[in-house]
Amino acid sequence: MSDNEPEQNREISGARALVKVLELEGVDTVFGYPGGANLPIYDALIDSPIRHILARHEQGAAHMADGYARVKGRPGVCIATSGPGATNLVTGMANAMLDSVPVVALTGQITRSLIGTDAFQEVDCINITMPVTKHNELVFSSTNLVPALKSAFYLADTGRKGPVLLDIPIDVLEESFPHDTDFEPELQGYQPTIEGNIGQVKRAIKALAKAEKPLILFGGGVALSKSGKEFNEFIRAVNIPVVRTLMGTGIIDEDDPLYLGMIGTHGHHAANRVIQKEADLVFVIGTRLGNRAMVKSQIFAKNAKIIHLDIDPAEIGKNIKADIPIVGDIKHVLQDINERIAKKPIRRDEPWTTIKKKDIRLSTKDGAAIMETIFTLVSGIDMKIHISTDVGRHQMWANHFCTNPDHLPLITSGGLGTMGFGLPAAIGAWFAEPETPVVSISGDGSFLMNMQEFVVAVENQVPLTVMVINDHRLSMIRELQRSHYGERYTTHDFRADINYISLAESMGGVGKRVTHKDQIVPVVKAAIESRRPTIIDCDLDKILKSSHLTYNSVAS
Amino acid sequence: MEERQIIAIEVEDKPGVLSRISTLFSRRGYNIDSLTVGHTHKKGISRFTIVVKGDKATLEQIRKQSQKLIHVLTTEDLRKEGSITREFAIVKLEYSDEASKKINELVDLYGGRMLDSTNGMLIVEFSGTEEKINKVFEDLKQFTVLESLRTGKIGMRTGL
Repeated sequence: MSDNEPEQNREISGARALVKVLELEGVDTVFGYPGGANLPIYDALIDSPIRHILARHEQGAAHMADGYARVKGRPGVCIATSGPGATNLVTGMANAMLDSVPVVALTGQITRSLIGTDAFQEVDCINITMPVTKHNELVFSSTNLVPALKSAFYLADTGRKGPVLLDIPIDVLEESFPHDTDFEPELQGYQPTIEGNIGQVKRAIKALAKAEKPLILFGGGVALSKSGKEFNEFIRAVNIPVVRTLMGTGIIDEDDPLYLGMIGTHGHHAANRVIQKEADLVFVIGTRLGNRAMVKSQIFAKNAKIIHLDIDPAEIGKNIKADIPIVGDIKHVLQDINERIAKKPIRRDEPWTTIKKKDIRLSTKDGAAIMETIFTLVSGIDMKIHISTDVGRHQMWANHFCTNPDHLPLITSGGLGTMGFGLPAAIGAWFAEPETPVVSISGDGSFLMNMQEFVVAVENQVPLTVMVINDHRLSMIRELQRSHYGERYTTHDFRADINYISLAESMGGVGKRVTHKDQIVPVVKAAIESRRPTIIDCDLDKILKSSHLTYNSVAS
Repeated sequence: MEERQIIAIEVEDKPGVLSRISTLFSRRGYNIDSLTVGHTHKKGISRFTIVVKGDKATLEQIRKQSQKLIHVLTTEDLRKEGSITREFAIVKLEYSDEASKKINELVDLYGGRMLDSTNGMLIVEFSGTEEKINKVFEDLKQFTVLESLRTGKIGMRTGL
């Protein structure tokens, strides 16, 4: 074959075509783990400027891609091999699915002729991941490889975002074929609605103007649609109080007089009361209103009309009946509304509310004071950082008290509640924005689930600070056993004591211990500034003693 | 109110599409009464007719959730006025001289067809509305039925 032959006629391997598509999609970093069935991809990556980050477990790779996507606002890519490699991705897919994060996962599969024979490292990856992906596909022929890849990026990153997985047999990756990488996806059965229906938008504006006690509730959709600016313009223009869900961090300044707190099981009394009892109209923006947000669906917004804006038509009418449904991209719809109310203002002079800032208290009390102390201190650190959390009690408190706009939005596993998410997600987030150091706030339970990924931070000099809020137990489990199981405690204690300093050092990182609240800011700040991967063991019992607080002290 | 809903789902005929539909239905707890699928006159397009139990809101969710599958092109509610549905059944009966007259009468009455007669066993076919096939099966109870099966509904809306 001569060098001047037009590129589209030149035969290249599937793996080379795959890497070419990744480059065309603007991918700079991929996270993965090699294995027998995906090695052609690794071979092709040698000749590509794309950086591959070797995770230590495929779940870690998936969460890294997830964290990367949340910060970058573009799909994160993870790679795994067939069989156990693929099954290890499942939690990561489910996590991205439930938080609507664009992730493209590529799994190697055994050679086509052996599929269905229970060959070595063969699993039915497509059927296993079907319910936890937005879409998945077995690429059974070279003709389909480029179209499937391009479609995967398009699907992951448009409409309601989410993970897309391609399962690619190794012989498709090896086979030479005249791949046409110029292919543009055209998907007959996939046409996300972007613009809101004009009639419904007008009805919504009218209802907002007419309501006596309107309220705005928003969730993760505002960040996903990158419409923070439009959202703030909108609430300013209407002057209506605002509450959020767990996934709505970093959109509105929590000191804003219009902000009344977070709703839900772990939310604020006042926010829950206002939505359950007082509001006569709720404009729901970009949230599916899951059970943790609604608390009790029977009394949720029971006196209110509902305007529901979401990109996913299936979310409207699923968990709550909508009086005025608007299907569309939040950014477009809010731009449209903002333009209309600029011409014909509906602003009220005073935002109605019975709530004063001091009334915004938390619904649960357990450990509130010490967690408030720790996270308020962290929040005071005057640096631009990205914070990820794990899952458990620390997640809820970090969500309440880490309010520094320079640290937000929180990178947190809201829908799936995946313990072990925080550390790899923070690493992924750093690769998306390397000028910003990352802090992973974790409990000792969650940290231990994916701690092997710490070595990835060491290997790649990621400025990562892990705060292990260490109470030697699963405190949320303990709390549930207290409140729901008559104080019959079991299986929540970690009896073995882990030396986190040695642990960090054994992996080539830095280990620190904090035993007094006055050490928190200097130690965390020094760790961030050092830009060296650091694990800080925050010994909760000792910090408690130093603060003269007891475990169950109430915050306010 | 719980009632039976009939939905037509037009899909791209891609590998695994049946699995996608059935996974979706089982995962969201929709109970399938019957499911049929086959090609249409359009190349690469197949069509499901699915009968499920549920209220109006459930039906709407099923349609919306199905619509979210990338290979699903359209969904249609066939329960409303203005749609026609049919089932097909074949039955194997033991043949005897006494029963022969009655069997022939029954086949005539329901517009069925005799398909085979081998070693004292008959195979007959019937098609029609679900109600009609129910009646056929009721009337067949007087004979010795050796095997029977019905396809479940297929259907389409009348007019455009």
